[in-house]
Amino acid sequence: MKNFLSVPILLALAAFPAAAALDVVATTSSMGMLARTVGGDAVTVTVLAPPDRDAHYLLAKPSMMVALRRADLLVAVGADLEIGWLPAALAGCNNSRILPGQPGYFEGAAQLDLIEKGQAPDRSKGDVHPAGNPHFYLDPERMAQVARALAARLSALFPAEGPRFQANAEAFSRSVAARLGGWRREAAGSPGVLFFHKDGNYLADLLGVPVLGYVEPLPGIPPTAGHLKGLVARLAGTKGVILYTTFQPGEGPEFLAANLKWRKEQLPLEVGMKDDGQAYLALIDRWVKAVASGRS
Amino acid sequence: MRVRTIGLILALASGIPGAAPARGAESPAPPLNEKLESLLRQQAELRQKLDQLEREIRALAGGAAAPVPAPAEPARPPLTATGPRGPQDPVGLIPLNLAEGTGQVTSATEFNPSISVILDGLYYNDNRGGTAGELAAEADGFHSHGGEEEGHHHHGGAVDRGFSLRETELAFSGSVDPYFDAWAIVALADGEAEVEEAYLQTRRLLPGLQIKAGKFYSGIGHINKQHPHQWDFVDQALPYQLLFGGSINDTGVQINWLPNLPVYTLIGVEALQGDNEAVAHHLGHSADHPYFESKAGPRMWNAFLKVAPDVGVASALQGGVFYGTGRRHQELHDEDEDGVVDEAFQGTTRFFGTDWVYKYESNRHYGAGNLTLQGEYLRRVKQLGLVAEGGEPLSGGPEVEFTQDAFYLQGLYGIAPRWTLGLRLEVAGMTNQVEGGEEAGEWGESRRYAAALAFNPTEFSRLRLQFNRGRFSVGGVEESFNQVFLQFQISLGAHGAHKF
Repeated sequence: MKNFLSVPILLALAAFPAAAALDVVATTSSMGMLARTVGGDAVTVTVLAPPDRDAHYLLAKPSMMVALRRADLLVAVGADLEIGWLPAALAGCNNSRILPGQPGYFEGAAQLDLIEKGQAPDRSKGDVHPAGNPHFYLDPERMAQVARALAARLSALFPAEGPRFQANAEAFSRSVAARLGGWRREAAGSPGVLFFHKDGNYLADLLGVPVLGYVEPLPGIPPTAGHLKGLVARLAGTKGVILYTTFQPGEGPEFLAANLKWRKEQLPLEVGMKDDGQAYLALIDRWVKAVASGRS
Repeated sequence: MRVRTIGLILALASGIPGAAPARGAESPAPPLNEKLESLLRQQAELRQKLDQLEREIRALAGGAAAPVPAPAEPARPPLTATGPRGPQDPVGLIPLNLAEGTGQVTSATEFNPSISVILDGLYYNDNRGGTAGELAAEADGFHSHGGEEEGHHHHGGAVDRGFSLRETELAFSGSVDPYFDAWAIVALADGEAEVEEAYLQTRRLLPGLQIKAGKFYSGIGHINKQHPHQWDFVDQALPYQLLFGGSINDTGVQINWLPNLPVYTLIGVEALQGDNEAVAHHLGHSADHPYFESKAGPRMWNAFLKVAPDVGVASALQGGVFYGTGRRHQELHDEDEDGVVDEAFQGTTRFFGTDWVYKYESNRHYGAGNLTLQGEYLRRVKQLGLVAEGGEPLSGGPEVEFTQDAFYLQGLYGIAPRWTLGLRLEVAGMTNQVEGGEEAGEWGESRRYAAALAFNPTEFSRLRLQFNRGRFSVGGVEESFNQVFLQFQISLGAHGAHKF
């Protein structure tokens, strides 16, 4: 309804495109946060995937194509995270500027070294990502790296604002660096984490905390009784914490928590659709605290 | 060409040094092993040196390009010992070439084109000795009038009782060059290969414009462009089965335009050769049918409009209208099936329709709670002149107008994680009349009800059980039937994205 009302306004705006902000479309809230943090008010950011959904599985909706149609820059996670829907949305958006290989396409995974790279592309092992684990967005250090690369890209697209993008990326990097020691100290000595999916691996790696296992038996496969019992048998008597995200089912974690006498915690994987860098750092604070809670 | 490319890729792959350690490990001769190891060590050292040089060059280039003062921030904190954590770029300005880093990290592009294979197997039975599937072709007002050997495999038509393999689909796709993307989908069935789709699509054209050229499924309606493995039921919806003989799949050009509007609006126009048994059947002038005229293509023109207002993050709604016309449609009627053409018709056809889809994505897990509602209405008018009777050409024969319509309504709901229940209602021939000529009259309607229960272990496999109950009007008599299908579908290879 709101959209219909805003039609004349938007049409009026479209008539004066010069000197407008860069139109950035981000696939997930985390990437939107980065674009907003680096781009400041020189960019307008639209996020495609709702933060409370699993970005593996989404519909390529026409509204996504509308956003992509007018985008100057697409900021994606990459490494096949969005493979179920982004290619279809890109094929239907009739905007050549943001296709892979164009200056308007930016993928975080392409700016980084991913972990768990080079797994055999064998789907009997579940929904594997041979290109590497795409969930780097819970790794603030890697996000800082992506922020700097994004600043360079934004500068190329909008040279006049280059120094500002640069400064914003550096400021984000510094605030991450400033907290890194504290995060590591807080998590030090945590006996380990049991994740639902491989989405927390980068954070565990960053904090030097072992990953004890996963609630799902294989990536993308729902937990089975046999697998959960196997986990209990393997981990009984040890310490740890079970962490899962808001869009992952709670039955498996609850069963494990009850049988292992461990703490379990459900956390958002993404910041809100309109959140900034501060909210992201606060989210990492929460995750670190949760990882550290395995000690008690 | 493609064979050669693959050969080249294989040749290159076998020469990649990374492949060496595996082979070395298998080799029993220790000297060779040692040699390999030392070689690998050397390689690693060289790589390290290269990396260092690269970093130095970058730092130098960075310094030259932008002599900013070194930031106050010291070197980044040390990374964990789990391995390299990405390139160690200097803090500060990174001189990034615009062409750099625009790439995509994906496993699908390791082979260009990306390849996938779809298997589609079926167990089928019905209560009419295996003939229930053929009833559709006999439904009043919807006879198939090809008059030629059925060369094309039929989507949703008769199936053998018992086990059968429906078409096996090989799909290739990739970008051709900076200007084009291309798709080729080959369907293998009954020992025959048919090119189901083979087309290119422009990558860069005027803003919002895209051109598709080749053989492809027309963009009209919602279901039309779906391949059989993308259908939500085992068989094609009745309106498409009866009014288009399956779907409109033809050779030609499509231009579509997505104007820069806040509401999704897609406008498309197609010029197609005109090779569809139900709306654009061209037999041409020949010794067998001298009464037909030949006409050069394109003989079929279509247009469609799709609009999708934004209805929130969890749902999507799309509505469309479409229109099409066949400029030279020719039919041979042989009612008594004695091989002699009783009547031959020639003329034009036109059709129009509307398609509606609503999708809701629940926040539950593995597809539970997801809902899709969709419906389409089609109406077809054939204006044909009688050009031959009893095998003899006829001049000044009557003009006959055939008007038929059909709709379907279907709903799909995720009843549990990984389980989907689908219900479908299809009615054909609410309007089912012939005006002019000796065949003038009205015919009854045909209906079908379907229920399908699908189990989707992952995105790459599916098991589906479907029941159909139908009541078709055949020769003025109501014929009812029951059908049962058990289907498995497997997708191998590159992960295809799901279109809306």
